[in-house]
Amino acid sequence: MPDTPYPLWSSIPEPQLLASRSRDHDVLLFPALPADSPLAPAHATVPLAAEGTVYSFTIIHPGAKTGLAPYALGYVDLPGPVRIFGRLQGKARPAIGDTYRARPDAQYGYVFHAVQGDAA
Amino acid sequence: MTQVYLSGGAMTAFGRHTGVLAPELAQQAILKAMDDAGVTPKDIQAVYCANVLGGMILGQVIVRDLGFAGIPVYNVENACASGATGVHLARHAMLAGQYETVLVFGIEQLTALGGGTIPLQRNDHKTELYAKAGMVLPAVYAMRGTRFLHERGAKPADLAAVAVKNRRNGALNEYAQQRSEVTLEEVLGSRMIADPLTLLQCCPSQVDGAAALVLSSKKPSGRPAVRVLASTVVSGLQEGARDDILDAEITARAARQAYEQAGLAPGDVDVVELHDAFTIAELLYYEALGLAKHGEAVSFLHSGATALGGRVPVNPSGGLLAKGHPLGATGVAQMVEILWQLQDRAGARQAKGARIGLTQCTGGGIAGVDHAASSVHILGV
Repeated sequence: MPDTPYPLWSSIPEPQLLASRSRDHDVLLFPALPADSPLAPAHATVPLAAEGTVYSFTIIHPGAKTGLAPYALGYVDLPGPVRIFGRLQGKARPAIGDTYRARPDAQYGYVFHAVQGDAA
Repeated sequence: MTQVYLSGGAMTAFGRHTGVLAPELAQQAILKAMDDAGVTPKDIQAVYCANVLGGMILGQVIVRDLGFAGIPVYNVENACASGATGVHLARHAMLAGQYETVLVFGIEQLTALGGGTIPLQRNDHKTELYAKAGMVLPAVYAMRGTRFLHERGAKPADLAAVAVKNRRNGALNEYAQQRSEVTLEEVLGSRMIADPLTLLQCCPSQVDGAAALVLSSKKPSGRPAVRVLASTVVSGLQEGARDDILDAEITARAARQAYEQAGLAPGDVDVVELHDAFTIAELLYYEALGLAKHGEAVSFLHSGATALGGRVPVNPSGGLLAKGHPLGATGVAQMVEILWQLQDRAGARQAKGARIGLTQCTGGGIAGVDHAASSVHILGV
């Protein structure tokens, strides 16, 4: 997992993405605020629901010189509510409304993976 | 009340200017703009230099040898809205009575970067996290495109038609980087970049260019006097969890303020230069600027209203898609184009009888907002 100055995942009972919830306005901020943020005292760190639905997406086609395969990116709407951008994996072509689940990822910190039924 | 006029304007051709340094590139536009305005260095009381990636005190470097008498030089950075922000700030100072005549120019040299998309500025944790996952501006616009096709029942060909129109205009513009007309099939068949956006639906990323304007509170003589009727710069609101990414809120807000300042309505506008960095953007901005009703962008495009010869030609210069998008220069170049359009100096791409013109550009580059900045100017004769 990448080392971040803010808490990205909870550990108990199973990993959940973390966000900061404003104590005054009930607004969720993702990622969570770092401890040294002057805004941190006005927020509580809260876990997010694991699954959400795709609001929109794109498939990036890297140039041939890169040798990279196409990959999907998208916005996932989680209960909370909060909208998070990230990699969409587990399905060649996502669709708006598909259900995806957040998973820890060593490179990006997290990815969204298509849940069974939506996975190809 | 003080009036602010565009008394002269000029730009370089947008394209590859390999080996040309910033002073030589920008000075081409500056000297032509001053000549166009009929002013000399002693007439200029302040200089505004718009640039994004050129480094510190670029303005002073560029004007060092031009004979200005130690006047203030302000370096302005607001991403792709830098040039428009420079004009906005210059107008503020003139309305405050600080200056009568100023020079505003924008310059960017992107070919030295070697191509590819412009990276996001990773100054905050959210942008760093999202950029690491792959967020770049083509992806942001592409996700708008996907949602647009989903919600509006539109087809990829509807997006591509914007590129056909603007590249047709660019073919008529000697200052445009890409001067070839393209067919719908060629646009759709070009390499996929960020689905649903193909290569010909993205503005060129390797481009250099400069543009300059002389602003004065003294009414120019000779040609029709082009006046700044409205000037707005606004910043993005923090994104909400369920925002509609198709509503271009920041631009709609900038436009509402501009129409109110000018005492005009969208139907009064005769010609528009807007920020078509990607084809989907032009469709969204038709609605944000009030040119088309909500949900009618595609039918508005296909009606021919925004083509040359239509009711309100949009991007007669070819727009960012054909003319190119040297970031800091873009906002100034849009106003140079409208200056020429309102003075019947636009040649083959002239919008007939235009008296009111509008420019709009956005500056992006951070996660968590629609765009960082948006600027709308309304000019009129």
